[in-house]
Amino acid sequence: MPQAAALVRMSRIGKRYGGVQACRDVDFTLGAGEVHALLGENGAGKSTLMKILSGDVTGYAGQIEINGSPVSFSGPTDAQAAGIAMIHQELDLVPGLPVADNIFLGRELRTRLRTVDRRRMEREARALLERSGVDLDPRRPVGELRIGEQQLVTIAKAISLDARVLIMDEPTSALTTSEVERLFVVIRELRRGGVGIVYISHRMEEIAQVADRASVLRNGQNVASFDPRTLSTAEVVEAMVGRPVQTMFTTPDAATGDELLRVENLALTPRRPRPGRRDPAGISLTVRAGEIVGLAGLLGSGRTELLETLYGVAPGGTRSGRIVLQGQQIQPRGPRHALRHGIGFVPEDRRTSGLVLFHSILANTVVSSLPAYGRLGVIARRMERSASVRMADRLRLKFGRLQDEVGTLSGGNQQKVVFGRMLLTEPHLLLLDEPTRGVDVGAKAEIYRLLGELAGQGIGVLLASSELPELVGVCDRVVVLRDGRDVASFSTADSAEGDLLAAAMGESAVFEDAGGAQ
Amino acid sequence: MRNLKAPLATAAVAALVLAGCGTTSERTSDQPQAGNSKECKGADGKYTIGMSQANVAEPYRQRMDDDIKAAAKEVSQFEVKFADAAQDNAKQVADVENYITQQIDLLIISPNEAKPLTAVVKKAFDKGIPVLVLDRKVEGDAYTGFIGGDNVEIGTEAGKYVAEKLLPQGGNVVELKGLAGATPQAERHQGFIDAIKANPKLKIVADASGDWLREKGQAQMDALLKANPKIDLVYAHNDPMAEGAYLAAKAVGREKEMKFIGIDALPIPSGGIKAVEQGRLSATFTYPTNGKEAIAAAKKILVDCGTIEKTQTLKTRLIDKENAASIYAEENPTG
Amino acid sequence: MTDVQDKAVSAPTAVAEKSGGVVATLFRFQSVFGLLAVFIAAIIFSPRRDGEILFVSADNLANVVRAVSEIGIIAVGMTFVILIGGIDLSVGAVLGLAAVGSAVLMVESDWGFLPSVVLVLAIGLVFGALQGMATAMIGIQSFIVTLAGLQIARGLARIWSDGQGVAIAYGNGPNEAPNSFAILGERTFGGLVPIPVLIFAVVAIAAVVFLRVSAFSRHLYAVGGNEKAARLSGVPVIRVKIAVFAICGLLAALAGIVHAVQLNQGSPNDGIGYELDAIAAVVIGGTSLAGGRGSVAGTVAGALLLGVLNNILALNNIESNIQLLIKGLVIVAAAALQRLRPAS
Repeated sequence: MPQAAALVRMSRIGKRYGGVQACRDVDFTLGAGEVHALLGENGAGKSTLMKILSGDVTGYAGQIEINGSPVSFSGPTDAQAAGIAMIHQELDLVPGLPVADNIFLGRELRTRLRTVDRRRMEREARALLERSGVDLDPRRPVGELRIGEQQLVTIAKAISLDARVLIMDEPTSALTTSEVERLFVVIRELRRGGVGIVYISHRMEEIAQVADRASVLRNGQNVASFDPRTLSTAEVVEAMVGRPVQTMFTTPDAATGDELLRVENLALTPRRPRPGRRDPAGISLTVRAGEIVGLAGLLGSGRTELLETLYGVAPGGTRSGRIVLQGQQIQPRGPRHALRHGIGFVPEDRRTSGLVLFHSILANTVVSSLPAYGRLGVIARRMERSASVRMADRLRLKFGRLQDEVGTLSGGNQQKVVFGRMLLTEPHLLLLDEPTRGVDVGAKAEIYRLLGELAGQGIGVLLASSELPELVGVCDRVVVLRDGRDVASFSTADSAEGDLLAAAMGESAVFEDAGGAQ
Repeated sequence: MRNLKAPLATAAVAALVLAGCGTTSERTSDQPQAGNSKECKGADGKYTIGMSQANVAEPYRQRMDDDIKAAAKEVSQFEVKFADAAQDNAKQVADVENYITQQIDLLIISPNEAKPLTAVVKKAFDKGIPVLVLDRKVEGDAYTGFIGGDNVEIGTEAGKYVAEKLLPQGGNVVELKGLAGATPQAERHQGFIDAIKANPKLKIVADASGDWLREKGQAQMDALLKANPKIDLVYAHNDPMAEGAYLAAKAVGREKEMKFIGIDALPIPSGGIKAVEQGRLSATFTYPTNGKEAIAAAKKILVDCGTIEKTQTLKTRLIDKENAASIYAEENPTG
Repeated sequence: MTDVQDKAVSAPTAVAEKSGGVVATLFRFQSVFGLLAVFIAAIIFSPRRDGEILFVSADNLANVVRAVSEIGIIAVGMTFVILIGGIDLSVGAVLGLAAVGSAVLMVESDWGFLPSVVLVLAIGLVFGALQGMATAMIGIQSFIVTLAGLQIARGLARIWSDGQGVAIAYGNGPNEAPNSFAILGERTFGGLVPIPVLIFAVVAIAAVVFLRVSAFSRHLYAVGGNEKAARLSGVPVIRVKIAVFAICGLLAALAGIVHAVQLNQGSPNDGIGYELDAIAAVVIGGTSLAGGRGSVAGTVAGALLLGVLNNILALNNIESNIQLLIKGLVIVAAAALQRLRPAS
């Protein structure tokens, strides 16, 4: 390990927010050409530590040295001048501007007349995107892109800064397996060029693949540092959580009941097609009561669009095919209609589509089932409280008080609130879109346990995910989508991740085993 | 903390209700009833006069305030306070109530509208405060004196001037009216059309509402010019609209084809007298601000302990090319 | 195990709350404290006559709250609209339309008291609901819809009144308004509380209670907080929006009736610019223009604060132009305080 010539050396870093000690005496070093993974549950202090390094957070204790000389940043601009760039988990892009403009935001390329040199910006943006392994038109507005594509744009933007230190906070949370692979190629290339990379991720298999060294934080303190290729996942998880964790996946109950949902040849022709959307173009599948059915497929295969169509929130257009719920054909008209028929939906992005972050846990939990607590439109506070407490217990929600803003919870607990809201409507069928994205290992395991429990109670689940281990581990059956059609269906008892990936990518694709998480 | 919300909300509302109840005793009992019957302290007293103006954004009303200020300077016993209702009846009611609270010695009011202000003017008058009403009237007779111009007469004078002097041969007239609903607008219109009946060859071919505003007058005139190939005269209910109409005509090169007359004749640099002097308007008619006269009346009541006439109507004067410069100088003695 | 975890998590949160408690409370009720501050300042700066503080005299305080009541009633409705992230620019014009409507119906059409008031309120309600439909169902921003609504209501008021102020005279004869209407305009109720103030108080209390206990209010806050999340959660977003704009229109019409009865006239030019005062009261009251956050209690305090401020500036004969500057600065200061609010 390059101890002597450390590119970054952070010593005894401490930071308090009010009564919360976010970091305490944390040491962290990063060498040139090193990929250093930073692990820990949400709230362990990873983000705070890295925000201190990138100048976002000031007023900390301890010392930072860059190339041996002490520095003190008063803002992100200082840190950028010192060659430190951070890719935030919350994507800081301007949705209305094209990709190229976003990449060069604040440092637009100029012509000799000092006007913006759009042609050169687009050319260079295209080159950067290619280097990051993504095929995107730099003239497209960022708002039209999928979250995964937006993530790649921020990566391209960070690379364009020619930073010496690159901090990546969960860069792959919305990427498909193949995009992750291409990102790793970029990372290796940067490493060869002497760039030091801090890599924050919840995905153990990625860290084993890409990192030279890994450090674990827990409750704002260093607890372990190791070579990620030598330690087993279970040991790492134990270091993060602070106690042994049983197997991640609860073995699904094989006994399933009657047919709950049958989709026959479902297709949607939107009135106004939107670029980047892949509406159903002939999908057939069934979900039985108590069965967890996975939806696999690459970005743009139409997983989200299928769930939205079933929930009735897809853009208007002509629908063909049949949707049969509990033996009755239904025409999904919208969330209220769906909820009345016992269909619940947990959307992909809980921050923008799931929660009112600055409202209380209580308000967010009960909003879908309100009329049930009281009479004549007047709420009985005691009833809604008890419903909310009951749900929090059932989901093992970690929180202070029900009045706390939901935005103060960790990602996993926020997701549990969205789950709880849907469960209070007592659904028969749950539609889940990437339910464990940005969720730490502990909360992930609890969500998997919950899914098993729900299936045991006879609830059918349709689970869209881009994490193959999750699909294989949690689901009874996986349906693979490609270009808006179902192309294959596997029973997880007798298929490996490789089969799914091959089916998802098509015959010609080359794939690499992503490594199991079990 | 959430539990605090309910008591605080209740407290806020309670404060609101309590405020209505008030905390101190009524103070009106020691004062006599009618407007003028307070004991007169004469020249030894010090007097606070409250001036409640409808809307100082109108140059005419700003000039009224200025005239009052200038005239009051000459009376050592007077201190004048000004309030502006910004064209809002409810605001002007509050302004007068505040004056009553301050126990002023005399109220001058130029009401935004008659009916809504009648009650509060009566309230002041009943508390023994002499009230001088300027320009626009209030209803009933609960005030000490009214001083104003006669808008019907002004309209008539304008009509006569057009029928006899400006266009004896007849022609097409365009009328730019003031804000719909305002009394002066109706009166200036009525006086004018009655007077031009004397000349049957005069015809009003179009009218439009310019809301007293220069830019509105200009915009309305733009349209009227397109619609009417032959216009001989523009009669605007005030000078700013006449000026706006002139600009519109000039923009299409037709300002020489027609004549423009306005009303108000404010002796200020942007006023109608200057416009006549500089040849943009053919004529304008003075609409006295009554500021000077109001202070003279106040002096009569408070300092001289006398009485004034209930209604004092000021005559209008024709301003044309001949007398414009001299009258401007007369109205602005210092320069 | 859950218990242990809960304690571990709640301990630091509790500490944080205790230390931030005072400040957080100050911010939460900034409008109430602001009102107190302005009230105290008003007492200090009030002119005195014979040792009596003019500001706190019964007459004057009654004037203050009565002057506030119309804006206050409108501002309560505006709070609802702003809570869902919208804005209603039409309230001043709807007030004018309602004032004209009451006068025309009772005086010119000789309708009775109750039918006139009910019809005028219904007009406000329907007008608001239509604006709600335009913004919720067609998806036009409420700023645009209500800007158009402002023009339409103003135009309707001018047409209905022939562009003239319609005077209200009382009596039992033809072309006279019933005396029962005059009672509304009489200065006090029970000799103490001016009727408009009473109406404002009832509206405010009803709105506070409504926002506390109704299921609808949860939906309303959710729509303002995150419309997409609310829709996906099964909140009837469109219905909520229409209802909120309808309530706002209804309250504007109620304020219009109060306006007409206080001024004995309905004029198509009534209420010009009132929407801006109402928005100012809501903003000073701490309701976020982004939606989802705020309270009616804050708005009431905000409206009273503006009223006290207006009154004390007038009592001290601050020049009207300077008054505008001061009021502008107060609004900016209130908005700035919101920005400083600690992110919990």
